[in-house]
Amino acid sequence: MMRRALVLAAAGWLVLIVLVALFAPLLSGADPIQPVGPPLAPPGVGFGLGTDALGRDLLTRMLFGARLSLVSGLLAASLAIGIGGAAGLAAAMQGGWIERAIIWAANALLAIPGLLLALMLLAAMGPGVRTIVLAVGLGGAPGFARLSRAAFLSARQSDFVRAAHALGAGKRWVALRHVVPNAGTTLLSLATTQFAWAFLGTTTLTFLGLAGNPSLPEWGAMLNEGRVHLINAPHLALWPGAAITLTILSVQLLGNWIARRQDGGAVRRAAMQAGS
Amino acid sequence: MVSPSDRPAAGLLTAAGRRALDGLLTGWAAVSVTFFALRFAGGDPVASLLAQGLASSEQADALRRQLGLDLPLIEQYMRFLGGLVRGDLGRSLYTGQPVTRIIGEQIPYTAQLAAAGLFVALALGLVLGILAVGEDRRRDLPLASGLAGIATALPVAFTGILAILAATHLGQASVSDPAMVRSLGLPALVLGFASAGAVARLIQAGMQETLAAPFMLAARARGLRRGPRLLWHALRPALPPVISLIAIEAAFLFGGTVVTETVFSRPGLGRLLVGSILQGDFPVAQGLVVLSALVYTLSHVAADTLGLILDPRLRPTE
Repeated sequence: MMRRALVLAAAGWLVLIVLVALFAPLLSGADPIQPVGPPLAPPGVGFGLGTDALGRDLLTRMLFGARLSLVSGLLAASLAIGIGGAAGLAAAMQGGWIERAIIWAANALLAIPGLLLALMLLAAMGPGVRTIVLAVGLGGAPGFARLSRAAFLSARQSDFVRAAHALGAGKRWVALRHVVPNAGTTLLSLATTQFAWAFLGTTTLTFLGLAGNPSLPEWGAMLNEGRVHLINAPHLALWPGAAITLTILSVQLLGNWIARRQDGGAVRRAAMQAGS
Repeated sequence: MVSPSDRPAAGLLTAAGRRALDGLLTGWAAVSVTFFALRFAGGDPVASLLAQGLASSEQADALRRQLGLDLPLIEQYMRFLGGLVRGDLGRSLYTGQPVTRIIGEQIPYTAQLAAAGLFVALALGLVLGILAVGEDRRRDLPLASGLAGIATALPVAFTGILAILAATHLGQASVSDPAMVRSLGLPALVLGFASAGAVARLIQAGMQETLAAPFMLAARARGLRRGPRLLWHALRPALPPVISLIAIEAAFLFGGTVVTETVFSRPGLGRLLVGSILQGDFPVAQGLVVLSALVYTLSHVAADTLGLILDPRLRPTE
């Protein structure tokens, strides 16, 4: 019962922030960048969540922040899943030297932890939200390549794939028609984990002040801004911090739920073990 | 079948040697990837100095020559590798100091934080993991496993801020207090908590696996109590994976220190990295990434070797 309620709450939160991200301009008439009131006003009447150091409405900034934070996380995760998944599928299906080369490259890249890989790319490309998305996406790709390869491999080794091969089906047909759909559940739960990681990564990098533009309404950047006024106005950091945390927890909870429900748990664990 | 204890020690040496060679190769690959990625993606590191008006175009040309950026890429790469072997990582674009010295000055701060964080992670993870095994799964609130699950997901930036808030409200310290900057307790707790979840889950999984093993039944038949059974028989086989996890966590901790150092305004490698990226101080950033890749590779080799020593089943049989 408890678990069910948690899953429902997680889904509810995610639906809420997606809706908020979609309709942010309709939900608030204020401008997220322009001051509207006195600086550091506490939450309460007038300004729902209070104002920041420049007197900007925090509720408005949170609403617009949902937009920027979610889109950055989604784009970064898609990049990692696209590149990593393609490499993982190629490795699992081709075998031979292609597989060895891909695994070797992934392992070499994994010698640099994901966040550091992203920081390294940022060092090369310079700060900014766009480069952060690119860096987190590329930084997550090698890990996803390794995990998805394990998932594809276990789908490839099932009897129906052997049967399809025996019936004379082509490699590409088997890959797209049999292996990918049957690794689907595992991939979905790996993808949710990837999104949680990408979301954490992008907000962490913006928290470190690497977004370039400090007035950007983005949860990580707002958390960083709140850090400076932590003692006299803790609400500046609490709202974005809580929003980031709730989002990551919700995504992870739903990911676990998907894995358990579709009985993909065993496959996923196998994939994680083969990948780690 | 050869019994594990009969396996020759020579097997251990060859296996360890193979891991070391593997690590050397991976380290070389990681360092090369760093070099080429930074060159291709970054273009001209001197350009940022020009753009900020910190150098005239003649000075920039001189700097390019001095950094060897006018040479063909392959020659730059050879020079870079040669310098690396000699322990020379170039000089900062801003202060002109050797990168090795700049990094060396910051290492103690981060090493202290990472070591303390690792200690917290292991202690907390061990306790949470053992408690989680003992928990009744049918009960509605599995507290220890819940906490272990949440620990990994919570962003360090937020737990750090919550910890500071809690500390100030309890009247322990103020953020601007220099004692707070120097104190290790709170940052280590925040950093360690983030890694404790992974340790706990690994211990829980390992113990649950061994609980089903025949030797557990044998231990029970011999009349061993539940406590010693859990702690000695079930926990011991669960420990080697934790050691290899520590290697992964060591790298994760480095990522965590970047955030922790920012949250607590501590000096260290993480702050240096963020600062060098924001400034466009290319040699410093490159040196830091190279350092972390090497540390990561080394810790993996060390963990693998330790695993071989602890668990004879991993050694080759021939």
